[in-house]
Amino acid sequence: MLEASGLSAGYLGENVVEGVDVQVAAGQAVAVIGSNGAGKTTLFRALCGMLPVSAGRVRFDGEDITGRPAHRIARAGLAYVPAERHLFPGMSVRENLLLGAYPGRPDPSAFEVVLDLFPRLKERRKQPAGSLSGGEQQMLAVGRALMSRPRLLMLDEPTTGLAPKLARSAYEALQALKETGVTLLVAEQQVPLALALADRGYVLENGRIRLEGASKDLERNPEVRRAYLGVA
Amino acid sequence: MTAEFDATVESEAAPLGVSARPPRSLTRASWPIAITGAVLALVPLWLGDSRLMMGLAVDALVFGAYAIAFNVIFGSTNQLFLCVGALAGVGGYASAILADTAELPMAVGLALATALATALGGLLSWVAVRRSLGVIFTGIVTLAFSLSFGNLVLGQRELTGGETGLVVAAGDGTFLRDRVAAYYLFLGMLVVFLVVFRALQRSHFGWAFRALRDNELAAELAGVDVARYRIYAGLIGSAMLGITGAVFAHSDGFISPSTFEFGHVDVRVLVMLAFGGLGTLLGPVVGTVVFAVLDELLIDFGQLRTVVYGLLIIALFLGFKRGAVPAVADLFRLLVRQARSRLGRQRLPAAPARRRPDHPSEGG
Amino acid sequence: MTAVALDGIVLGLQFGLLGVGMTLIYGLGGVLNLAYGQAAVLAAMVVAITLTAGAPALVAAAAGLLAAAAGGVVIDRTLMPPVYHQRGEHRVLLGLLLTLGVAFVIDGLLLWRYPTGALRLEIGGEAVPILGVRMRVGSLLASGISLAVGAILLLFFRATTLGRAARSVIQDEVGARLVGINPAAVRTFIFALSGALAGLVAVTRSMTSPVSVTAGFDFTILALIVAVVGGLGSVAGAFLAGVLLGIVSTVSAFYIGQYITTIVLLAAAALTIVMRPRGLLGR
Repeated sequence: MLEASGLSAGYLGENVVEGVDVQVAAGQAVAVIGSNGAGKTTLFRALCGMLPVSAGRVRFDGEDITGRPAHRIARAGLAYVPAERHLFPGMSVRENLLLGAYPGRPDPSAFEVVLDLFPRLKERRKQPAGSLSGGEQQMLAVGRALMSRPRLLMLDEPTTGLAPKLARSAYEALQALKETGVTLLVAEQQVPLALALADRGYVLENGRIRLEGASKDLERNPEVRRAYLGVA
Repeated sequence: MTAEFDATVESEAAPLGVSARPPRSLTRASWPIAITGAVLALVPLWLGDSRLMMGLAVDALVFGAYAIAFNVIFGSTNQLFLCVGALAGVGGYASAILADTAELPMAVGLALATALATALGGLLSWVAVRRSLGVIFTGIVTLAFSLSFGNLVLGQRELTGGETGLVVAAGDGTFLRDRVAAYYLFLGMLVVFLVVFRALQRSHFGWAFRALRDNELAAELAGVDVARYRIYAGLIGSAMLGITGAVFAHSDGFISPSTFEFGHVDVRVLVMLAFGGLGTLLGPVVGTVVFAVLDELLIDFGQLRTVVYGLLIIALFLGFKRGAVPAVADLFRLLVRQARSRLGRQRLPAAPARRRPDHPSEGG
Repeated sequence: MTAVALDGIVLGLQFGLLGVGMTLIYGLGGVLNLAYGQAAVLAAMVVAITLTAGAPALVAAAAGLLAAAAGGVVIDRTLMPPVYHQRGEHRVLLGLLLTLGVAFVIDGLLLWRYPTGALRLEIGGEAVPILGVRMRVGSLLASGISLAVGAILLLFFRATTLGRAARSVIQDEVGARLVGINPAAVRTFIFALSGALAGLVAVTRSMTSPVSVTAGFDFTILALIVAVVGGLGSVAGAFLAGVLLGIVSTVSAFYIGQYITTIVLLAAAALTIVMRPRGLLGR
């Protein structure tokens, strides 16, 4: 469904990510793991049009979306939840969710689905998004992305600012999502959670793909275990 | 919402800003001011015969003084005082009324008028500081003050002559009414203002002003008492405006609301400084000269003059973030540096620091 | 006394409509548009010219609104991009200065071409008694239009998808892109809307008194005062502030004098900023 070939991108003329090839097949969950500064965020931004691509191509459902503006890519069915979330702080939870469905009219059933998935949001639906706690904001960000019934959902470090218990339930929610047929691409520092969810994974290091493969294989890979799973 | 920390990579941080390093001219001796003074002192030799031309020259110097004052207030401490004309008007009208109606000696009236303008300007600064008014709100409040002053003058017709203006008797018969003598007086004031500005730049004030300009938050964290410096700048600038307005009233012999109104004074000062360079020492002088000439050239254009000013404002603020003259000076310096590097004598500066990655592409 | 109050409300509703365009463009676009008054005057001149050419009133009015809206689009597409590139205070400042330049250009051109131009729309009909005061049809029509437009705007921004989308861009531009909103398109729309509102002000105002070609800056200052007192960005605030200031203004002008009245209005704006910066209904 999503395919990046030879992708390079960066800031102010310097590439942070270089020559990256990524494939995400429909219905899969794919994880991109790497430490801070590896380039995960840069890669994701380049994929969804938030950052200009300096080399390479990005294809979504066979269509070349390289260089297309972010809002058009969003409308094509690719939803991105950035680490900073970028919610509308002065608008209520409800309004944030309604806007998630833009430009279409908000689908009441999608609304129900999201509120069932995140019951806490239901309680707070009239409150301004800026007054929510970190965990609730994360839920809202994911919920908003889901309102558009995306075909591919990209999440950048969804566990940011979440207590371990919340992080686990976040991944349980993602698992449930996957089972409904949503394709997932997740960038994550919390490797065990990501690999448990994902079918396949990529290890990003210094802007390049170091390893790739089935998540089970990655879990067993000694380098991965040493670097990311804290096992000697 | 994420906080935006402007890295000190110039332009974006302060579109009308001044660079952190002091302008080169300051590190040398006082010769720029002296030369400016000397050159401008020659003007009457050239124009002295024409009363009209000397009048225009005096006007130009007056605007130059206004511009330096604005440079102190806005150029140095980022307080958008849109009441330059009004503060000068306070000086002018108060001095004229005190001397003519209250029959105080002219010097006393002048001093009191200047004090009044200083106090008002200081008050505005103080309020802006106490209430943490940003640039825009300060601008609106001072604009309100400016327009209110204009309406006050128009309303108090018996005292101020209202729309028809006020004939200023005090000063008649003194050297002030002689255009050439007045020119030299204003030139002297201009030079004094420049010296004051330069002294401020080189002093602890100047360092604080520059720090404030570049990154207010960092300056405060570094211990710069932003509030105090802002009020000082407000007081000093307003004093300059008040005394200039007052002396002008007695020298010209006639003042009216339009002499000091926003459209006539503030806009012009803004454009002059935008051109000559906000925060620079000689920016106001360059702006003064250029616009004195430009104004003369455009005199026949009538309303189209306004159009030209509008286009100039747009072009200047779009194109040159720190003023046209500094931009040209920078370009010149860049060319010199490149020439030197080609001769192998000096390495080019390193690539700019990487900006924080939070810059979405400008799509659609 | 009732007459004065009613006059105040009529004036106030005009103030409100005037303030709304300014408050929208600041609240949603992050720009203080100092050419706002000129947009109104431009519209007035277009309406006057179209009327003189023999067109029916509604067509002329539409032409005026369209001209002002088109002007807004032109400014947004040509001059505003570097402004939008800035954030927060820098954006407002640069926007303020550039639109000031535009204001001078339009002012100068209009004054040069039509030095004595003015627009006056005579609405025929018997004066209607309201609460014992005979109100001119023109005043009633102008007030009705202002109220209706105010209500429509409120509804639009609160309850429609497009309105919500428009509000979201200033809240978080990246977020807006992520949900598929095109920020540049929204901003152009806001500028166009603001222009149309300015045009509408000119048309409704001319129903009660002439709109002269020199009125540009007066309109801008008034719009700014109303927007500030009401709370920058609040539609309801602009109307509330407008009516209050309209009444104050009419009473003051009646009992005291014109110059003091202007000072009172200016002082209201200054005091609001100093005492309660978010205005009456702003956030």
